[in-house]
Amino acid sequence: MSGQTIWDKLQQVDRRVFYWILFVSLTVPFLTPLGLPITVTPSTQAYYDGLKTIEAGEVVVLSINSGVSAWGDCLPAMVASVKQVHNQGGKLIVWSIGYNDCDITWTRIKTTLPEVFSTWVEGTDYVYFGYCPGQETNVALLRDDIKSVYTKDVRGVATGDLPLMKNINDASKIKFVMSSDTGDAQIYYIRQWKNGPVNYVKSGKPPLVAEMGIAMNKSGDMVFFLSGDEFGLVAGSRGAAELEALVGRKGDATITMDSISVSHVLLVLAIILANVGMFATRGKKK
Amino acid sequence: MIANIAAYPTDPLAILGIWVALFLMLAIYSYPLYKENPVYRFAEHTFVATSLAIGIVVNLTSLRNSAITPLMGGNFLYLIPIILGFCMYFLLIPKQRWVSRYPIAILVGSSLGLGIASNPLPSIISQVISTITAPKAGTALWAWFPGSPTGDWFSFAFVAVGCICSMMYFLLTYEHTGAVKPVTIAGRYFIMLALGAYFGNTVLFRFSMLAERGQYILKVLGLVPI
Repeated sequence: MSGQTIWDKLQQVDRRVFYWILFVSLTVPFLTPLGLPITVTPSTQAYYDGLKTIEAGEVVVLSINSGVSAWGDCLPAMVASVKQVHNQGGKLIVWSIGYNDCDITWTRIKTTLPEVFSTWVEGTDYVYFGYCPGQETNVALLRDDIKSVYTKDVRGVATGDLPLMKNINDASKIKFVMSSDTGDAQIYYIRQWKNGPVNYVKSGKPPLVAEMGIAMNKSGDMVFFLSGDEFGLVAGSRGAAELEALVGRKGDATITMDSISVSHVLLVLAIILANVGMFATRGKKK
Repeated sequence: MIANIAAYPTDPLAILGIWVALFLMLAIYSYPLYKENPVYRFAEHTFVATSLAIGIVVNLTSLRNSAITPLMGGNFLYLIPIILGFCMYFLLIPKQRWVSRYPIAILVGSSLGLGIASNPLPSIISQVISTITAPKAGTALWAWFPGSPTGDWFSFAFVAVGCICSMMYFLLTYEHTGAVKPVTIAGRYFIMLALGAYFGNTVLFRFSMLAERGQYILKVLGLVPI
């Protein structure tokens, strides 16, 4: 093995060594936070501005279309949004059209916000319907007849008996929907609610759509924000950290941002190192 | 001030729950951090089994609420989707597999109908309008430069040039030579830029998931607030 340069040796390092370095360096900032500043992007600001327009008694929908595995990106934004809806005096309808593990997510939101759920009354201030399969077909049906999709809430109370749902059976009574997404659910609401063909000619005011998406989909989601189909977009844990700053309740996203920043620095260094190594050893192998 | 500060659980079942979750998580991570091993396989099989069990329970509950209950209440129209649902099981009988094509056809047809009717506005018309609409009047000239307080005009020009060049790259009806060549080369670079952005965002998401799990370990160990 004589004659090996440092670059040759680096290329032979087991990839698990990098995984370990990455895992440890992601964890350290939680113990010793760096407190890096967070600036608010226009899409998150627009989302927050939308939340600020909720008037007391107005109803919004939280559509949980992200699973437990995406908590890192999606949960903090949902927590901050529910908190802001509560601050505004709004009322909340919660359901899921995409993930059947939404019960765990909803339970986590409730335990994270004891100050909200100790004052809110279930059935009067908020309703949780749980998961219903059907994807876009389901969204289209919810637009026109909520009670036909959800005959009862998760506690088994008939939808018609819930005080919050007394006068609400279609999307025309809903101010907007906040869709937490790892996929395409927000476009279902844009297609079927915002641009839906039924009811809104009469009411003249279709519900708006906003999204709390994962960072991976930001490029694809941004086009709907820029075209005005979404009034706001919170993208990933970074967006959630911005929202937490705006809402004034710093939570998991704010804590996580230091860790993510460190991981990015590490990744950039690894990419630079790998490229330098590749150029330094190019031509030698043959 | 961080708001997510709660006490460490005192309920024995809750404590057991978070430690079992930690064990299973580390068992899964033992695959990339060490190598495939029996503990990893145990956690993997546990995950698949519990996911399946949750899926069955949730879907049956949903079926009961949305179809069986109305049917028992006298709404016999719900017999149709229930029968169609059962038709899917004919997939398991090779000679009668054709029966399962009817519910699949209805599913695909209804999804297509919904999508085709409402897709052009948000996905085509709004996007074209958004792309060709110039920023509002009054935006400062210096906004052409990236990093300035508002990069509206720069973004507009960037998207316009990028859009044209990228589309030219996929224009395959004639050879990319002469005046077209530099445009298509530019198009290739714009596509690579876009894919790079996608990759960057994907990395951000994956690291976010990993960081959340790292934080979970510290929470269970009591090193950071739950």
